[in-house]
Amino acid sequence: MIYLKDIQKSFNQQPVLKGINLKIGKGEVVTILGPSGSGKTTLLRCLNFLEKPDEGIVQVGDIQVKSKKATKREILSLRRQSAMVFQHYNLFAHKTVLENVMEGLIVTKKYKKAEAKRESELLLEKVGLGDKHNYFPSQLSGGQQQRVGIARALALNPEVILFDEPTSALDPELVGEVLSVIKAIAQEGITMVIVTHEMSFAKEVSDRVLFMDGGVIVEEGSPLEIFNAPKEERTRQFLNRISRDFSVSFLEERAN
Amino acid sequence: MGKAFDPSLIVDFIPTLIYYLGVTLQILAASVLLGMVIGIAAAILRLFRIPVLNQLVILYISFIRGTPILIQLFLVFYGLPAILLFINIDISRMDALYFVIITYALSNGAHFAEIFRGAIKAVDYGQTEAAYSVGMNNSQSFFRIVLPQAIRIAFPNIANSIIGSLKDTSLAFTIGVMDMMGRGETLIAATAHALEVYLSLAVIYYAVVLVFEKIFRLYENRINRHQTVDVSVTG
Ligand SMILES: Nc1ncnc2c1ncn2[C@@H]1O[C@H](COP(=O)(O)OP(=O)(O)O)[C@@H](O)[C@H]1O
Ligand SMILES: [Mg+2]
Repeated sequence: MIYLKDIQKSFNQQPVLKGINLKIGKGEVVTILGPSGSGKTTLLRCLNFLEKPDEGIVQVGDIQVKSKKATKREILSLRRQSAMVFQHYNLFAHKTVLENVMEGLIVTKKYKKAEAKRESELLLEKVGLGDKHNYFPSQLSGGQQQRVGIARALALNPEVILFDEPTSALDPELVGEVLSVIKAIAQEGITMVIVTHEMSFAKEVSDRVLFMDGGVIVEEGSPLEIFNAPKEERTRQFLNRISRDFSVSFLEERAN
Repeated sequence: MGKAFDPSLIVDFIPTLIYYLGVTLQILAASVLLGMVIGIAAAILRLFRIPVLNQLVILYISFIRGTPILIQLFLVFYGLPAILLFINIDISRMDALYFVIITYALSNGAHFAEIFRGAIKAVDYGQTEAAYSVGMNNSQSFFRIVLPQAIRIAFPNIANSIIGSLKDTSLAFTIGVMDMMGRGETLIAATAHALEVYLSLAVIYYAVVLVFEKIFRLYENRINRHQTVDVSVTG
């Protein structure tokens, strides 16, 4: 379970999150849509305190942290409730594929090496990289790297996996392989929060869709509600624009 | 003036001098290892801007960089016993070798600190964030994720610095250490064939440097065989 209360965050006096309230139930798949700069990444990063909110309460699983009084210890236990899949993969560059997945198990879950290895091999099999154990990240395609990133996140068996535009750094022909892995794990009942610009994917995979703009959640609802009958003008405009110049905005996102 | 140049003497001198290579390598090994510890510690103090210590480290590094190593050697050799005498520790009889090792460790430490600091900063911050995201704390993320990559980035510069340090050890004789250079000086005193002695020394130092370079290159190729360290900036 995730619970956010009045999350506020500014960068250089510029408010980026203006009081976000949100509850996400166990097993729910939530996608966040919104124009570039609307605060999606910042919101996701506040969930694991890669960005420390100025104000508000973050709860993931049974760890609750008040932003203002957050201690190092609390932040660490909060982080251990979640895992993140990054836009630019951020795999550990000096470790092999297998070691990347094992790392969290060994360091934070205190698994024995053999156990961690067995577990990691299963996960790599699941993301279709059973034959790449001893490769280094730099030897893999973007799509393969991102699938390692997903396996690394899954290994932690977290309360929630946070995805920040997992496919927007990928060449178009590699997007499919990553999305299908995410769809597969979505069906296993893992709680996920996904920032994405892949509309048909969002439609298909989400239990709930949030539309963000200007640091607030403008509208939320089921995929059917948001995509077929958006209530807010801003949502409508965004969806129109996305479907009209999909290729343009897609290229813009990739450039960012 | 010495005696007439006799190149055949070089063949005699080289084995005599090489016998003392061990001392040179001993100084080098000890001062490089100590220098690594000092360098990593100093780099951490700088990077985390630990108050007071940060300023002291800046001063230390700038002093080492701004003064000749020969002066540093004399300062340690004469200064350290004088300072320690204040607290009633008498090290005036300590083997000169240790003063050399201390000086070169301090010198290497300063140079390594700057190299490591640059290398640590060159590791993409996304690596640290990924480490945090799998639940690591600060020191786990630093020692398991950042430092190993920084060492790879730093390695070519560290290697150059070690080779420079190897050549610098040739000053140890000035405080009476019997290394290759020290033995060379005694040979000159005994034979008056200075040129032949210095040529012999040049040959030995040059050969040792070539061997070191070869070893460093092999090692570098090995650590980079399967990977390029990702230093790109995350957008
Ligand atoms: N570390 C930061 N420092 C300063 N400004 C930032 C930082 N991170 C994000 N911002 C700003 O906050 C706003 C929201 O950014 P972000 O959360 O990345 O939006 P999105 O992911 O929706 O594109 C942008 O205007 C961005 O420039
Ligand atoms: Mg973003």
